Amino acid sequence: MENNSNMDQVFEKLGELKSFFIFGQKVVPVIQSIIDFMRDVVPLMEYVNNSIQDSASKIPKAASQINSVTNATELATSEILDIVDAMSMDLSKIKNELADLKNGFFNQRVALESFGNQHPNLNGQFEALLSGLSIDELETKVISLEEIVKKIEGDSNNITLSLQVQDITSQQLASVNHLIQSVQKRLSKLMTDLSRKGPVDVSDLEQDDENTKSATFNPDARYEKTAEKQELANELFNAGQKTSQDEIDKLFAK
Amino acid sequence: MALKFLVVDDSVTMRRIVANSLKAIGYEAFVEAGDGKEALTKLSGDDSINFVITDWNMPEVSGLELVKSIRSTDKFAKLPILMVTTRGLKEDIVEALQARVNNYIVKPFTPQILREKIDQILASA
Repeated sequence: MENNSNMDQVFEKLGELKSFFIFGQKVVPVIQSIIDFMRDVVPLMEYVNNSIQDSASKIPKAASQINSVTNATELATSEILDIVDAMSMDLSKIKNELADLKNGFFNQRVALESFGNQHPNLNGQFEALLSGLSIDELETKVISLEEIVKKIEGDSNNITLSLQVQDITSQQLASVNHLIQSVQKRLSKLMTDLSRKGPVDVSDLEQDDENTKSATFNPDARYEKTAEKQELANELFNAGQKTSQDEIDKLFAK
Repeated sequence: MALKFLVVDDSVTMRRIVANSLKAIGYEAFVEAGDGKEALTKLSGDDSINFVITDWNMPEVSGLELVKSIRSTDKFAKLPILMVTTRGLKEDIVEALQARVNNYIVKPFTPQILREKIDQILASA
């Protein structure tokens, strides 16, 4: 009886062993495919890691190049403004000179008129003198020059308006720079997280996103000459000026 | 009343453009600050400043923080403040209005708009 029981146990163990072998036969190809997968993935991971490191190392240079662009445009804008300033000063002098000329013409007319009144019997010689002076013609030229000066002043104002593009684009570039630096932070964090265990801490990155809202640049800055945004501001401020502060707060309460 | 402006902007270019525009419309007296913090220092040290033109996005103390800080004191509660900024969204404009900015210009601007806004502020003062 005892021998039979032992044999039963042996057969039972053999059965378990057989099941194990059958399981092994099924599992071995899976393990093999995992090994093959790992063989394929490891170089890929190394490539990804190298790419991340490479990208991360290039980012400071990209950020620095963007800063250089901003500095260069600021310098160029400043030089143009110097020229515009000098032009404005010259225009101002020309305007003063032209005004003096106009006053001179007026004074000459008054003097001539007085002379004509005092000497009425010059037998047409005075009229001949007047027609030879061509004061009216010269005055017309001065008025025409004043118009040209006015136009140049307008052009100079338009140049100043256009130069505001430098500030607006520098804010856009600052925004891109911030984005690049944010990518670098994320890549650096990814590299650190890949080499350590435990959950990923994203609180720093979330804080970084929050800081963008109060940044020194406006990521939505646009160079638009249309009056749409100004009209909206006018509308809201005109409405606001007719209402008390409490009413404004209530009106726009979120 | 002779006006003396405090022009606050972190961009040297914009400070020059605002200053040139002020000159173009007949205002010669102004001082400059590169951010809100410097503006507060200049404001507290110069009693002749009676008009502030400020940008919004600036380091240290932003334009909006500057406005709130100015408005929190009795001395400057009525000081005219004009904001000149690239921020043109409705929520931005409303935020400035709530902070008690007197008027608002969206960049880019012309000297004519600057004159119009200064005149409006002075007329309502």
